[in-house]
Amino acid sequence: MAAQPKPLPAHQPSYLEGGGILGWLTTIDHKRVAVMYLVSALFFLALGGFEAMAIRVQLWRPDNHALSAAVYNAFFTMHGTTMIFLVVMPLLLGFFGNFLIPLQIGARDVAFPRLNALSFWLALVAGILLHLGWIRGGLPDAGWFGYANLTERYFTPGLAIDWWAIGLLVSGTSTVLTGLNFLTTIVAMRAPGMTYMRMPMFMWSLMVTSILILIAFPALTIGLIFLLFDRFFGTHFYVASAGATPILWQHLFWLFGHPEVYIMALPAFGIISEVIPTFSRKPLFGYPMMAYSICLIAFLSYGVWGHHMFATGMGPVADSAFAITSMLIAIPTGVKIFSWIATIWGGSLRMTTAFYFALGMILEFTLGGLSGIMHASAPIDLQQTDSYFVVAHFHYVLFGGVMFTIMAAFYYWWPKISGRMLGERLGKWHFWLTVIGFNLTFFPMHFLGMWGMPRRTYTYGADMGWTNLNQLETIGAFILAVAFLLFYVNIFKSLSSREERAPADPWDGRSLEWSTASPPPAYNFATIPQIRGRDAWWILKYGRAGSRGVAAYMSGQAPSQPQPDQPVSVEDIHMPAPSIFPLVLSLGVGVIGLGLIIDWYRIILIGAAVTVLSIVGMGFEYADFGEQSHDPEHAPSSGGVDVRKIGLWSFIGSECVFFASLISTFIVYKSRSLAGPGPKILNIPLTSFSTFVLLMSSLLMVLALAATQRGDKRWERIWLAGVVTFGLIFLGGQVYEFTSFYNEGMGLTTNLFSQSFFVLVGFHGAHVAIGVLWLSVLWVAAMTGKLGKSRALSVELAGLYWHFVDVVWIIIFTLVYLMQAVPGA
Amino acid sequence: MSDIADAHDGQTHHPGAATYLIIAAFLVILTAMEVTVFYVHALHPVLVPLLIVLAAAKFALVVMFYMHLKYDQWLLTGVFIFPLIIATLLLVSLILLFAYLSNHMAPIG
Repeated sequence: MAAQPKPLPAHQPSYLEGGGILGWLTTIDHKRVAVMYLVSALFFLALGGFEAMAIRVQLWRPDNHALSAAVYNAFFTMHGTTMIFLVVMPLLLGFFGNFLIPLQIGARDVAFPRLNALSFWLALVAGILLHLGWIRGGLPDAGWFGYANLTERYFTPGLAIDWWAIGLLVSGTSTVLTGLNFLTTIVAMRAPGMTYMRMPMFMWSLMVTSILILIAFPALTIGLIFLLFDRFFGTHFYVASAGATPILWQHLFWLFGHPEVYIMALPAFGIISEVIPTFSRKPLFGYPMMAYSICLIAFLSYGVWGHHMFATGMGPVADSAFAITSMLIAIPTGVKIFSWIATIWGGSLRMTTAFYFALGMILEFTLGGLSGIMHASAPIDLQQTDSYFVVAHFHYVLFGGVMFTIMAAFYYWWPKISGRMLGERLGKWHFWLTVIGFNLTFFPMHFLGMWGMPRRTYTYGADMGWTNLNQLETIGAFILAVAFLLFYVNIFKSLSSREERAPADPWDGRSLEWSTASPPPAYNFATIPQIRGRDAWWILKYGRAGSRGVAAYMSGQAPSQPQPDQPVSVEDIHMPAPSIFPLVLSLGVGVIGLGLIIDWYRIILIGAAVTVLSIVGMGFEYADFGEQSHDPEHAPSSGGVDVRKIGLWSFIGSECVFFASLISTFIVYKSRSLAGPGPKILNIPLTSFSTFVLLMSSLLMVLALAATQRGDKRWERIWLAGVVTFGLIFLGGQVYEFTSFYNEGMGLTTNLFSQSFFVLVGFHGAHVAIGVLWLSVLWVAAMTGKLGKSRALSVELAGLYWHFVDVVWIIIFTLVYLMQAVPGA
Repeated sequence: MSDIADAHDGQTHHPGAATYLIIAAFLVILTAMEVTVFYVHALHPVLVPLLIVLAAAKFALVVMFYMHLKYDQWLLTGVFIFPLIIATLLLVSLILLFAYLSNHMAPIG
């Protein structure tokens, strides 16, 4: 039964206590996973910072050779890659998101705790892969956006780009799993009474960010897959001399890349929307408009990627469209800025370090936004492209907007996370040095850019007149480094302090995380809270939200001590058991990546075996696998839908974008081949039969599900065996088709048509193969009596995946085979 | 067997075998129509719209009846439809952008 948050009895062990090293390695507690993200992100922050300092040292004076040009290129590439993929996203999503989502929505953990741990371990493996070039093969040096065809093996031989591409693929997989997990958690696991319009704004931002992750990352995945095919198998997806266009990479990359900016910015907006009301002692101004503006920003962010490509010559119509959407996105962003200012206006301000950083964010991010609007104008952008003006702009957005927010979040939530306060005095020094260092470093870049200094330039001549401002920037960078050093010292001092622990609610907070202990116990809440309005914890303390609640506070009313409506024994709370499989699985993935890069196929096979066995092991790890959850606390806001079903549908949604990227590439390239067989080679009778087989397998699949649901074990086995058989027949047909094409002279690398065809249809075939494997495992479970009515959900989930593979084939059959005579783009 | 079988979770109802068979029949007929359209030259002027409509119909039948979106909560429909719309927009946008590029790029060589 739902209840008010219960003040925890004394001596409750916190999530940080117990378990030893093995406890941390096998943990699936969202808070411990968050802490592991923190440790890895702080390490990579130091590494990325070191790379930035090296860049600034190199630019200190004209014609400098403190670094070689090659090392300089590697450092600016790895600085961008590290800060975006290994620092900012892990901190915002992996650390703060992981730690706070269950606490702010009143849940005990995320929807898929083991998947959450897997996300972390994969992210760590990605970070290691990205940096293995330090040991062998050199660091990648083609920029964080790795423009084609610079990344082709002809132009960049060696292992460096391989490390980069495979590391990013693993990192992207980790992020997609995180997005899927967060979306499902926020949708399904909110405490009773927490409607969407009562969620903390940080939860709104993370929910929308998760959707953005699911629809943005597949484009990057496809772009990287094409790149790896070019590098490993000799295809020519980005090679102009083969009739292809490197512009394809730019489209795929920025289809991911611009939403990625908002994947970093939206959680920051959410955090600021938490910090400002707390320290202004006022509810967030314009809550509904803030929520809607987050949605609008996310939607528009998917339609602005072209403003990164004005210089490529997309044509006046496309330029105009992208300019309009880029300008439009300033409107909901402006709504947020004004709402924060209105929240502060008339508030009872407490000038803490967290609030300082929040105020700093508003100012610096607005400056970045203003230069961003300039980029929305194609003629102006053409002057600024690839200049230091762009470097200034995105650092004002990503450092001024996002890093300032991360610091605000640290000072705000650190007491909750660690049970210790961060030093305010040291914090103020940290803040002011950051403001000075940041503006000294990045503001002059606007001028340098307008004067013509190109970004990524290794050095410059003394006669260019850029020396003084560059020296100012380098001084600023060193001040920033000192500021970060103070931050690390503050953390160290806080953790090593013997002073009294932080109280549960040190800031007189508004949301539910402040209702539990600092640091929280493993189960978060003794009882799942009942939500009665926005700012749930504030209402419990002061009795009312909004301005009347403020009046109660301003009149000196002491916060009431919320009482539980019934005693609850914490021994009755069952948390999921730790699991070693996420760690082992991610190690398997890492070994596959390693084997691919060093070209050692035995290593790949070992990694693949470990990966597959871990997946199967995870599937059967819990005795109640595949059973419908009947625990009302498990997913109170799901409307009765199992969280696994929501998660799988989210994955399917993401796969739509994955296949759309593949299909569009096929359509673009199918008529651009310069030689060899074309679409006429496709065999319609054979694929019509394959289509029939796949459609009928879907029929058998639903019949298998119906048999399972009514407890008919005999027909359950028969229909499942039928689906597997039909799947194998389809795969056999595909093998026959590929073989016959090969015999007719059409191999993978023959021309653009063949490579885009084989990759598209091959990836679909790989999905079918995974489905066959999944269903085979279920069939074995059915044969050994481990399936049955109570585990119908297992069959339903596998069926959903199988039907999706079917509908993708419906599209492929039409667009690829039946429209073979229709010219491509 | 009843046409509407009780669902396992007590929240939604899935169709029974009869509905599944009818849908399968429709899917076969629609596929046969697609292949026919491909081979009948007289229909080639309207090949693209015809095939798109037929494929969309098959897609919708599988998603609505076999994947049960017609019977499940709207939440799941939303989780699927939004990315599907985005994916469709992406497909159309890239085709149009590259069509422009192809028409305006200098010939290779």
